[in-house]
Amino acid sequence: MATLSESPSVLSMRDAGVHFDGVKAVDGVSLTVSRGEVLGLIGPNGSGKTTTLNLLSGMLRPTSGAVLLDDRDLSRLSMRRRVREGVVRTYQSGRVFGRLTVFENVEVAGLGVGLRRGAARDMARTTLAQLGLEDVAHLTADSLTAGRIRTTAIARALAAQPRFLLLDEPAAGQNESEAVQLIESIRGFAREHSIGVLLVEHDMSVVMGTCDRLHVLDSGRTVIEGEPQRVRKDPQVIEIYFGKRE
Amino acid sequence: MMVLVPERARTPLILSAIAALVAVLGAVGGPTVQRVAVLALVSIVFVAGLSTFSANSGIMSFGHVAFMALGAYTAAFLTIPAPLKATLFTQLPEPLAFLRDVQSSFVVAVVVGGLVAAVLGLATAPAIARLTGLQSGIATLAILMVVYNVLSSWTSVTRGSSSMIGIPQATTLWAALGFAVAAIAVAWAYHSSRSGLQLRASREDYWSSVASGVAVGRHRATAWVLSAFLCGAAGALYACFVTSFNVSAFFLSATFGFIVMVVLGGYLSLSGAVLGAAVVSVLQEVLRRFQDGQFTGGSALPAGVADLLLAGVLLFVLIKFPLGLMGARELGLRRRRASVKQKEPVEA
Ligand SMILES: Nc1ncnc2c1ncn2[C@@H]1O[C@H](COP(=O)(O)OP(=O)(O)OP(=O)(O)O)[C@@H](O)[C@H]1O
Ligand SMILES: [Mg+2]
Repeated sequence: MATLSESPSVLSMRDAGVHFDGVKAVDGVSLTVSRGEVLGLIGPNGSGKTTTLNLLSGMLRPTSGAVLLDDRDLSRLSMRRRVREGVVRTYQSGRVFGRLTVFENVEVAGLGVGLRRGAARDMARTTLAQLGLEDVAHLTADSLTAGRIRTTAIARALAAQPRFLLLDEPAAGQNESEAVQLIESIRGFAREHSIGVLLVEHDMSVVMGTCDRLHVLDSGRTVIEGEPQRVRKDPQVIEIYFGKRE
Repeated sequence: MMVLVPERARTPLILSAIAALVAVLGAVGGPTVQRVAVLALVSIVFVAGLSTFSANSGIMSFGHVAFMALGAYTAAFLTIPAPLKATLFTQLPEPLAFLRDVQSSFVVAVVVGGLVAAVLGLATAPAIARLTGLQSGIATLAILMVVYNVLSSWTSVTRGSSSMIGIPQATTLWAALGFAVAAIAVAWAYHSSRSGLQLRASREDYWSSVASGVAVGRHRATAWVLSAFLCGAAGALYACFVTSFNVSAFFLSATFGFIVMVVLGGYLSLSGAVLGAAVVSVLQEVLRRFQDGQFTGGSALPAGVADLLLAGVLLFVLIKFPLGLMGARELGLRRRRASVKQKEPVEA
């Protein structure tokens, strides 16, 4: 087992930006995720949350700034290489390998990071059990409910043995208590396996009690970063989230 | 009885049984039926190869007949008796002059035919690994065009549009069955392998597979080379059955026939490909007889009617079952879907 000092301990983005045809989707954002913590990334629709996650995971290259693993510049590394470095993501829509079984979905992730067949299967079994998916393991993923499809996507990400896990709205479509429960269990994993989690969520109330810190985006820029209680009281955040109602 | 067979071995067993059935029908029928049966078994070898690539990657190839051609020409060179070769190929280029004297057994010819095709597979794999969708389809078609043109024009080696002749007939019904079973076993082994599973994942969702660390290009290339090998072997079997052929056997008409088999059965499934090969081989024969006038009182119908009707069948199936009869399912493998759409567990 690698000790913490050998393996990277922070994933960060420094002054990173990307624009599409002149639209700055992310504009000079800096953030840092440490292992074992859950950083909530929130903001209104179109504020650049998914784009930030795309930059960190390697789906997009930043047009300015850099993505770092400790001091190492990852900006030019492909998404697949970053997975091998322990930076693993999910997609907002909860994408799965529809006509493969739930078990195979998770097994693939183990194989993808280089595990042998037996080890990948053991990993799949353990992960499915931890997320309560054993009873659907033999079903094709596309026959599950939307909620379980999302959980399968999370199981797959966990089976890749991430050091940093980037989750794009894992609780979308679930009610508040389900969402809180899901994020609590993700937080449990993060602590237990010392995984740094970046969690995108648009619902402020869900992340309040579950994240260690919050990072708020609006129009591609950082509004504030800090502890949930402090963020909640920030006047700018109040305006973004509750402004129109008041 | 099937219960005693482990789930992983069921599909190849059922498919082998289908191949065996084809062989038995060929054995009890007359010479024409036997001929149809052998060609059906050779087709099974071919589609097992094609589907090793297309079923697992989800990318259709229109170029695999090129591999078949290489296998056929290789087998011809390896098995035509040396004295005959001396008269057929008087102008062999110097580097290939050794081909005049080489002589090998049937089985070696089939394997070497596969290997030569695999070399072309290896050479084209980098392009295939990078392309998807329409570009990939066009690239595979381009490979067919290039190989066809080379084979037609390189007359000193291939005799151009003249026939390769004098190949000893070695592909018996039972040999064809043996190779069909072997091809099914190889195709299934790949399907179930680490590489095959990861490639199927990329077929289902490319970006999710990349996000799971899957090296999609590498697995596509692996499947491509293996499928080239199997299709090359099919070409060698074909050559050693028909004993003479020319380059026109390996172009659009053959490509169309195989596409119909695979698409009709289900191009995402090995079972679909094998079933398609068996069914379409029979259908082609029936349609051919129909075109020759056997069912219309002896008056032959215009050439092309058989292909037209086959195209009609293909269109019908495509409209009714866009993914073919099998979809992405495999015979003997229960791809369980939740019978009722899964209920969310009720939280206490
Ligand atoms: N590939 C792209 N091409 C062009 N514009 C894009 C692209 N991806 C994102 N954008 C734009 O960038 C901005 C940020 O989008 P992003 O998807 O990151 O927002 P988000 O915070 O994830 O929103 P949501 O809550 O709706 O998921 C939006 O204005 C969006 O239209
Ligand atoms: Mg988003």
